[in-house]
Amino acid sequence: MIAHIANLTVWEWFKLRRRWMLWILLVFALLFAQLAVWGAFFSYRNVQETGGELTVPATLQQQQGRVPRTVRCNDLLSGEASRRPADLDAQVVAGLTAQCRQQATTLPARLARTYDTFTLPGSIPNALNTVQTLGLILVAILTASAIGIDYGAGTLRSVLTQGTGRWPYLTAKFVTLAGLTALGLLVAAASVALSSAVASGLAGAAPLGAGVAATWSDAGVALWKAWVSILPYIALTAFVTVVARSSAAGMAIGLGYYFAEQLIVALLSNFFSWFQNIADYLLVRNISGWTGGTGGFPGAVLPDQTHAIVVLTVYTVVLGGIAFWLYERRDVQGATGGG
Amino acid sequence: MTGMNTIGPGEYVIGTRALTKRYGDVLAVNDLTLRVPRGGVFGFLGPNGSGKTTTMGMLLGLVHPSSGEARIFGDPARHPATLRRVGAMVETPTFYPYLSGRANLRYFQAIGRRGSPADIERLLTLVDLGKRADSKFATYSLGMKQRLGIACALLGDPELVFLDEPTNGLDPAGVVEVRELIRELGTGGRTVVLSSHMLAETELVCDNVAVLSRGRLIAQGTIKELLREHDSLRLHTTDDAGAQTVLAALPWVEGVTQEDGGLIVTAPQDRSWEIARALADRQVYVSELVPLHRTLEEFFMEITGTDPTTGRERT
Repeated sequence: MIAHIANLTVWEWFKLRRRWMLWILLVFALLFAQLAVWGAFFSYRNVQETGGELTVPATLQQQQGRVPRTVRCNDLLSGEASRRPADLDAQVVAGLTAQCRQQATTLPARLARTYDTFTLPGSIPNALNTVQTLGLILVAILTASAIGIDYGAGTLRSVLTQGTGRWPYLTAKFVTLAGLTALGLLVAAASVALSSAVASGLAGAAPLGAGVAATWSDAGVALWKAWVSILPYIALTAFVTVVARSSAAGMAIGLGYYFAEQLIVALLSNFFSWFQNIADYLLVRNISGWTGGTGGFPGAVLPDQTHAIVVLTVYTVVLGGIAFWLYERRDVQGATGGG
Repeated sequence: MTGMNTIGPGEYVIGTRALTKRYGDVLAVNDLTLRVPRGGVFGFLGPNGSGKTTTMGMLLGLVHPSSGEARIFGDPARHPATLRRVGAMVETPTFYPYLSGRANLRYFQAIGRRGSPADIERLLTLVDLGKRADSKFATYSLGMKQRLGIACALLGDPELVFLDEPTNGLDPAGVVEVRELIRELGTGGRTVVLSSHMLAETELVCDNVAVLSRGRLIAQGTIKELLREHDSLRLHTTDDAGAQTVLAALPWVEGVTQEDGGLIVTAPQDRSWEIARALADRQVYVSELVPLHRTLEEFFMEITGTDPTTGRERT
């Protein structure tokens, strides 16, 4: 049976790799991972060059009708009159300078922290945390499409008449999707590693205190956690696709659920304090708790990792189990016409 | 049907017992007991909605029966190992639209572990798709899709092949080619179950047929037997009224009607001499006695109550 499922998995990959969608999704994942690296790099360069920037509200500016503007701390702290902003009141400049002096005390630590987010190995957990939301959405699209096409094109009938068996076929799809997710994460991590090497070369010498934020083992753990966190989302999308026999429904729920959960939690938690207890058992919240990201819940107290992994396992088993049960039990009809 | 478990490999390839499928209040297949003998081409006939495709679906494990039993080669029909010995094209062939015809065949061959890649080239040539084998399935015409469906059903040289309306969308030359192919497939011990609305085609290629109407099996046997059961003769006599009285008294005459200035007698054609003698004994003389050969189409229309103009069952 294992050999049979392995064979089906190989041929599932044969089908998927011939679809543009897979490669487009991968490009998106890579672009976002790169954005995390280069965004951090340019932020570092900016802080390095400016010493930090402060925003001056329009009300503190001498001329009326101005819009808020920024001033560089390096200009204010240089002591050179030519670099001081001429259009600001001396009192305002003094206040800003004081703020910059205060910031300067934490500047080395800030630089070191930022440096660690675009250089190895810290760049990998940072990039994975940045692309987590997008990763879930991309995986939802891929899952709905890979399972839903057999309903839309009516190919499930042709597949099953070959004697593949229903549950081995669906198992092969799950294995392929889980495998591709792992592969996608590894490719994204590799691309992050490559650009991190380039970025650290461009950034020059490491600032004092850099290189302590993350170890290679942290990078490995982040990869593992990112992969595990995606599995319940595969199960959710597969469940909806099988229930609705439609890739469109799977995609809609896969995409919409992520945002809907956050909206519902934010709204109901404000009105009912007891809802916080229920929220601790919702999917996205536990994904964020498991990966250690904010996942759209800035400042919120997320479930701890043990709680999160138990909840995520239950989601995966229950949603996946129902999907298998329905897949095995239902009559197979002709094409529904979807993708 | 008794002892379906005893259906041996040498006798019947398909056996169903009281097979029933209900969709809510609709009885799609009703208590169907059917046997398909090994070898040859078996016609599976019935008007639209008569339950042919649902029955095929149950035999191929696509549709779960509400009750009853379906077996192929004596084994439960939906068992994957059984299905690997079966090829099928049910309704319009469905393939992955973004894959080429060749890639689709390669895929289905691999997942069903049916034969070698060399078979694909042979099958593509057989169904005349060699030149378009590398075009995406989405660009195929209906006829090309049908041909690819037939090729897919033949992957791995199966012992039993289900073909549901295989000539749909084919041009006249294609219909003849497919008819020849089906006839050829039915030789050498292989069984082809052919479901078709093209009754003239079916009559040309089938050895046995089963006719379904409103989910029930209403006739089954060889075409020769079925048509013979409903033999009829046209008679012109010296006294039609007297002849009707004489013939109505014969126990093996099923019916006598007056049509077109003569009599239509439903009776076995090989007993026509007995009709002539019985009439002569009563001084009614036959001036013309013509055996009427009915086509499968006429037989089908009659027993299913199908309206010839719409192709649907009369209510």
